[in-house]
Amino acid sequence: MSLPYEGALRVSRRALGALVVVNVVYGIAIAGLLAFSFIAEDALMASLGVKPAVDREAMVRGMRLVAFVGILAVPLAHVILKRLLSIVETVRAGDPFIIENARRLQPIATTLLGMQLLHVVIGVIAARTRSAVQELDINWSFSITPWLAVLLLFVLARVFEHGARMRADLEGTV
Amino acid sequence: MAIIVKLDDMLHARRMTLTELSERVGVSLPNLSILKTGKARAIRFSTLHAICKALDCQPGDLLAFDPALPDLPEES
Repeated sequence: MSLPYEGALRVSRRALGALVVVNVVYGIAIAGLLAFSFIAEDALMASLGVKPAVDREAMVRGMRLVAFVGILAVPLAHVILKRLLSIVETVRAGDPFIIENARRLQPIATTLLGMQLLHVVIGVIAARTRSAVQELDINWSFSITPWLAVLLLFVLARVFEHGARMRADLEGTV
Repeated sequence: MAIIVKLDDMLHARRMTLTELSERVGVSLPNLSILKTGKARAIRFSTLHAICKALDCQPGDLLAFDPALPDLPEES
């Protein structure tokens, strides 16, 4: 079936496919940075603008922790992107209102919640990381919008599931 | 499913084909076929009304309950 918004779907599919790759590259880059912090600590810290201090180790530990949490976010983002891609595929196939898509939305909501929690963990690490001469500045800020998005996704997943069940019932109605 | 559709018996008794019934009640042949073979999940009162009118019968002539048969399958 040819859909009027076929072009938009194609763009979404490609964008999501690209984001899957970008996410993996991001993960590899962060992992590389983390590994590099062990191999050439002084050079990396100098290039990141970490000033010499007697307790610089606290800064280094904090930055490593932030990098580690960043790596944890990669599989979560992967789950979201792959499920979104599957949903887009069903739209392309012309039948998105199915129970399977409701079951894809639910883990997307849960995973997004996980990512938000990781974001909070990063904020806590950043706030507690400091040396005698400077604080760890990663431009962290709290925003209510992603939390609302998580809530909205949970609600939408339930609504979608209900709608898909209703449609399944209607399909068998004569 | 424990609900048995006896549409085939009624059609036979009235000497009517499914195609003729489809034309009379305005329900598509595939949908009537789904009903006849017991694959329908639900039936609208309007459909039941039209079939009863066309076949000059009661809803009970078309549907029966057999407790010996398995329950409705779990909704996916």
